[in-house]
Amino acid sequence: MGITRRTFIKASMATATAAAVGLPVSQAALAAAKTMENDWRWDRGVCRFCGVGCGIQIATKDGKIVATKADPDAPVNRGINCIKGYFNGKILYGKDRLTKPLLRMKDGKFSKQGDFVEVSWERAFDEMEKQFRKAYSELGPTGIGIFGSGQYTIQEGYAAMKLMKAGFRSNNIDPNARHCMASAVAGFIQTFGIDEPAGNYDDIEHTDTAILWGANMAEMHPILWTRIVDRRSKHPNMRIVNLSTYSNMSSDMADLEIIFRPSSDLAIQNFIAREIIKRDAVNWDFVKKHCVFATGPYDIGYGMRNNSDFAFKKEMDTQAEQRMHTLDKFEAIGQRRKPGTKVPQDAQAKPGAHWLIEFEEFKKGVEPYTLDFVAELAKGDADESLDQFKAKLQELADLYVDAQRKVVSFWTMGFNQHQRGTWVNEQAYMNHLLLGKQAMPGNGAFSLTGQPSACGTAREVGTFSHRLPADMVVFNPKHRKTSEDIWHLPKNTLNPKTGSHITKIMRDLEDGSIKWAWVQVNNPFQATANANHWIKAARKMDNFIITSDGYPSISAKVSDLILPSAMIFEKWGGYGNAERRTQLWREQVPPPGEARSDVWQILEFSKRIKLKDVWGEQKVPGLKAAGFTDGKMPNVLNGARKMGYKSDDTLYDVLFAHERNKKFAWPDPIANGHDNHTVDLLGDGWFVEKALFEEYAQFGRGHAHDLADFNLYFHKDVRGLKWPVVNGK
Amino acid sequence: MNLSSILVYTSSKHLEDLQSSLCALPGIEVHHQCHDTGRLIVIQEAVDEKTEMDGLRRIKDLPHVMAAEMFYHYVDDGNTLPAESQNGEVLSWA
Repeated sequence: MGITRRTFIKASMATATAAAVGLPVSQAALAAAKTMENDWRWDRGVCRFCGVGCGIQIATKDGKIVATKADPDAPVNRGINCIKGYFNGKILYGKDRLTKPLLRMKDGKFSKQGDFVEVSWERAFDEMEKQFRKAYSELGPTGIGIFGSGQYTIQEGYAAMKLMKAGFRSNNIDPNARHCMASAVAGFIQTFGIDEPAGNYDDIEHTDTAILWGANMAEMHPILWTRIVDRRSKHPNMRIVNLSTYSNMSSDMADLEIIFRPSSDLAIQNFIAREIIKRDAVNWDFVKKHCVFATGPYDIGYGMRNNSDFAFKKEMDTQAEQRMHTLDKFEAIGQRRKPGTKVPQDAQAKPGAHWLIEFEEFKKGVEPYTLDFVAELAKGDADESLDQFKAKLQELADLYVDAQRKVVSFWTMGFNQHQRGTWVNEQAYMNHLLLGKQAMPGNGAFSLTGQPSACGTAREVGTFSHRLPADMVVFNPKHRKTSEDIWHLPKNTLNPKTGSHITKIMRDLEDGSIKWAWVQVNNPFQATANANHWIKAARKMDNFIITSDGYPSISAKVSDLILPSAMIFEKWGGYGNAERRTQLWREQVPPPGEARSDVWQILEFSKRIKLKDVWGEQKVPGLKAAGFTDGKMPNVLNGARKMGYKSDDTLYDVLFAHERNKKFAWPDPIANGHDNHTVDLLGDGWFVEKALFEEYAQFGRGHAHDLADFNLYFHKDVRGLKWPVVNGK
Repeated sequence: MNLSSILVYTSSKHLEDLQSSLCALPGIEVHHQCHDTGRLIVIQEAVDEKTEMDGLRRIKDLPHVMAAEMFYHYVDDGNTLPAESQNGEVLSWA
């Protein structure tokens, strides 16, 4: 019996796959395959594992996921899943899922040295609130922090960011996406003034050349790689180049493999720029119309603390580099100095400073990057001859420069997690802009993303210490005013001083300037470099750390309170991928035990804090030094009263469950029979995820970041929509 | 029980060779093949997730495989199927 059923299921799966990818199957086989799925409910979702944003379909039965498959109608992945997609259903059902809040306790009371004990949500929030009040009254808005995520759903990131910035008046919220995408973001903003790629995945089917700079797409972005391989098999002129510090799987399909020494990609980019100029290949029509030449300081340090107070003994030599760097023979040529010169890192406070220069100065800047110099510096394979390597660099330059050839450059962490990540991102744009091969079908420099919503949530929602939604920033008075207006906040509620980025939140825990921190949808005590520092800070310092997670991660284990969280398809949500495609999904199955969504956790906690607790006068260290008129943030309770708020109103009332949001009622026909545990638990009948999405969308509409109406993303023919969405398209 | 359908890409001229190599692997059944486009659809059965991942890698490592990606995953709908089957057909070497 079992074998018969197994055979039947296998045949059905094979048939469904064949039909989806366009292989011939008989009607009878198709009908038989459908029988297997008779009592299943299929619905759409998006893969939660990377920034590609593949569409998937999820089958549920009796509150459990029974099958997942790639969505044949999804324009991103066209019916294919990679090995990551395989886990979308399985990830919910691990043996060690967290199902109860856990608090460190000794003798029935919270104790940092205690063991984890199961507690009620009520007890968990009581301790969280008590510790919040303690830290906030001692240190003010800068004494708390949230570790955010590139895996936040749009609604989670928006709720967390709004609670921190508008409620607690703190900018200390920053995502793990800082680690992977900070240099990509800074490169975008410095070059284009907007943080998102101009191109999209369809460029693959329009290009003649895919050049991989530190992106092992064959293994890390397999679905996009499948599209590149497909393009190569159909388009004889297609060439693939893999630049890497080691030979990897992407080389198998590459026409040209260039193995270079770590960090010498900067020199290779300068070599290409020099070749473009030397071969008179600058696209002057394009450059004159769209570009200026600019440069910035090179003595910017390495982003470490500028003192050695917290460096461990064996880190002292690295720490010293932050203040003074000794040039090697190659750096000396690039900087026109003598080898061995000690260069003080004087520009470390303002590494993003930049100024305009003339083309002639730019030309002079790249002049040292000759083929001889760069080949000697960059050759990374000891078994390759210098001449072979030189020929490869020439060929690379030929591909870029060829006026008849369209080129897309792809990169991910090979550029972004780099000592000079912002520079090397900017260099990629530099060469595409010089050639005019940018922002047209098949031509462009394309920054790929690692996390599923690093673009859609972290960056677009702005869950960063310096940002507000839709590329706005906290230090711009106009941006604060726009945000205060949309959020119905009294004037000057928002904190103008950039908060602590994710590494600084760790440092603040280490030096005691943050004493309350909440980890959401990420695992920073494992994923942040120098984790030995931060784990020690979490366990030894006087602080209170909360981690919301589905599983007992390292971060959960070093915390004081663990909140069991609903995972991807146990809640409503939305992600935005690397090509600006926003995709929303419904709750498919209930979370296990007492696990609950992050949105619920954020909103439920906001019920405990009142306006009078946070909207009075607040001291913010460094406010005056940062150029603001006063050293503190004003009391805005009078302004609040004029707007009709009472000082006893909770942040839940004012920020979330206000009349404008309550217009979005639950139940809503868009649910189509699906549940919403977040709404049920809050118990006041508004459709939280829809309301938060629509409120957030106000920031971008009319400003080139236009999102569609919430409902449109659930239309039967829609598989996510790339913004800007104008007139439903 | 873990079942996955896997779409394998090769070239037309290597389709037959690859089909033989695939059929020789434990836990694999070849269900469909298309000579013109060099594609095959196989079903893989494995005892657990790790084995299934390793199973996909072993397919990717076969000669003439241009790409192999999973498509459809069956988790288990509660009608538990016996984990073993005849002739060691289930992939369980891990």
